[in-house]
Amino acid sequence: MSKKTKLTLISIIACIGILFILNSTLGSYQLRILNLCGIYVILALSLNLINGFVGLFSLGHAGFMAIGAYTSALLTMPPEAKEMNFFLKPIVPWLANVQLSFPIALFMAGVLAAGAGVLIGAPVLRLKDDYLAIATLGFSEIIRVIFTNTQSITNGALGIKGLPYIGIFNKASEAIWWTWGVAIITIIFMALLINGSYGRAFKAIREDEIAAEAMGINLFKHKLMAFVIGSFFAGIGGALLGHLMGTIDPLMFRFLLTFNIVLIVVLGGIGSITGSVISAVIVTIAMEALRVLDGDMQIGSYIIKGIPGTRMVVFSALLMIVIIFYQRGIMGTNEFTWDWILKRQKKISEPLNKEKVS
Amino acid sequence: MKRKIALLLVFVLMFATFAAGCAVEKVDNEEKQESSNSQDSDVIKIGVFEPLTGPNAAGGALEKEGIELAKELYPEVLGKKIEVVYVDNKSDKVEAANAATKLIDQEKVSVIIGSWGSGFSISAGEVIKKSERKVPAIGTSCTNPLVTKNNDYYFRVAFVDPFQGKVMANYAYKEVGAKKVAFIIEKTNDYAVGLAKFFEDTYKELTGDENAVVYRAYYQTGDQDFTAQLGNIKESGAEAIFAPGNFTESALIMKQAKELGIELPILGGDTWETPEVIEIAGEAAEGVVFSTFFDVNAELTDTTTEFLEAYKAKYNKEPAAVTALAFDAYLLALDAIKRANSTDPEAIRDALEATKDFPGAAGVVNFDENGDAVKAAVIKTIKDGKFTYLTTVEPN
Repeated sequence: MSKKTKLTLISIIACIGILFILNSTLGSYQLRILNLCGIYVILALSLNLINGFVGLFSLGHAGFMAIGAYTSALLTMPPEAKEMNFFLKPIVPWLANVQLSFPIALFMAGVLAAGAGVLIGAPVLRLKDDYLAIATLGFSEIIRVIFTNTQSITNGALGIKGLPYIGIFNKASEAIWWTWGVAIITIIFMALLINGSYGRAFKAIREDEIAAEAMGINLFKHKLMAFVIGSFFAGIGGALLGHLMGTIDPLMFRFLLTFNIVLIVVLGGIGSITGSVISAVIVTIAMEALRVLDGDMQIGSYIIKGIPGTRMVVFSALLMIVIIFYQRGIMGTNEFTWDWILKRQKKISEPLNKEKVS
Repeated sequence: MKRKIALLLVFVLMFATFAAGCAVEKVDNEEKQESSNSQDSDVIKIGVFEPLTGPNAAGGALEKEGIELAKELYPEVLGKKIEVVYVDNKSDKVEAANAATKLIDQEKVSVIIGSWGSGFSISAGEVIKKSERKVPAIGTSCTNPLVTKNNDYYFRVAFVDPFQGKVMANYAYKEVGAKKVAFIIEKTNDYAVGLAKFFEDTYKELTGDENAVVYRAYYQTGDQDFTAQLGNIKESGAEAIFAPGNFTESALIMKQAKELGIELPILGGDTWETPEVIEIAGEAAEGVVFSTFFDVNAELTDTTTEFLEAYKAKYNKEPAAVTALAFDAYLLALDAIKRANSTDPEAIRDALEATKDFPGAAGVVNFDENGDAVKAAVIKTIKDGKFTYLTTVEPN
């Protein structure tokens, strides 16, 4: 086992330890935010694979999330809960009594989203740049409209509530292991994928399609592959989000949701796994931490009356500052690697060693 | 250098926004003392989550007005001061869940009020149900039946869509005398879909005719052109049109119906009670009929009078129905705390459930087994460019 693999393993164990401590000490509010962080890490990584590494500007993420969320919701909800929800129009009989365990439903959510990814990707990936963005954006809107109209499957505009907890034991404390567990698996998967031969092909396509094709890379195959993997994880992320919320409706999966994830990816650095993880955590926590600004503030003996929305203004300003100073996002296309850490350590310790010698 | 200038500009911009929007108030030491004391247990906290920003901010602002007014009139209960904690749900379901969790877990409120929009309320309801510290919630203008269904901790002061649908079906059959109706429904709106369904059920029962609904047209939020649907309705032989939906689209429907020469009575729901309907539809809005929660002329209770006078004095305009509902939610919360004689959320929940004949500004509130208010509906029309009171329909 090389030194780097050892370090990776140790840091994963350390992560699990930290999660364990956080899970037993934090209140339900902080835990909810932490869970959201995990989910946004998954979503940001899945979008970054498509947008950042292959360079396909896709805006259809909310659509895949909707597919995942609805699949998992309908597969895990007990029959009584379904009956309660579908009071306007009864649910189709073949779905009424289905109840699978959470992991299977979660996997199915990913698979169905990936299936939709194939269906939409095959025709649309022939497009480039802005045209691709428009086509995928249209796709996610179509999904939303379909879900609004298929009342006997999705309960239409009324939405569904009473989704079971994340996990198999029906306990709230279990959620964090699923959200961050899947997030860590996603990070490892993406890192392996990007550093492998597929990853090099993806990056080659991003840099120059014609050159990549000349080198013998099958453009369509690779693009579709990235798109499908991305939509698989988007589906899983959507399913986790639905279960964390306990309720979903078609309106949730508007363009705004895609935009949130695009923002995370751009802020973190288009084409950086590390950047996406960092920025997903920062953005999710910052939006909640800045809530203080909405309320009344007291400075000395003056009270500044709070205006709702102040946090959004400050948040936008912070975004502007970051983008001005880091034009390619927090990490650019750089990654966190052990080499980088080890090198820095060497740099710090080198002068010390020299002193000792002299 | 360029960066420095850019940074400077950003700060100037931020400062300008603050300076433009913020009201800075000097507080004397006494008040300061009081506010710093507010962390103690002699304060009762009520949490409010509303869409204060985002697409539904207008609705949230109207409800906030009602709560602020009620707090001014009744700032104390059980000899303790009330502190209202507002959190913004940004017109977003995920944020609504976060906001509700914050109220329960961080602010430790005794009771929650909110919100405009059923989706946000359902989201908060799920949080409450799954939370360890369960806090009762009082919904204001969320009318989707799912909000309170299967949730013992959610109540609401508004009546639900099924009741409104029933009221309008009765009106269409008995007052308008229509034997056949046509629907034009905003499919993307839970409220419109629910209303239409229960209108249809009641109407079929009343007429005894399975085919009483002769035509159903659907549209999406944001649609502009309804001439195709309206053309079909014209041909369908309907004697009235039921058009539940968002006010902008509904106003366009009224306008285009008029242009197509459709002279049928158009019926709708409480969303139409906004000045925009009259602004957009103009002449075409004359004679449309809709049900709503509240009217200045339908003096439902003594609280109505009190609310109207106080509202006029403070804001100098006519109150919206949702403002009255928010006002009621606050008063009901106070009433429940008083009856429970405790700030314990569980005790307040039990007191809320036992509510009987609570006199609110928008009618007398009694709860059914779901925690939905059973109360009278008001029917209004538009006459000479003004909302005009027609009649009050009591719950049976």
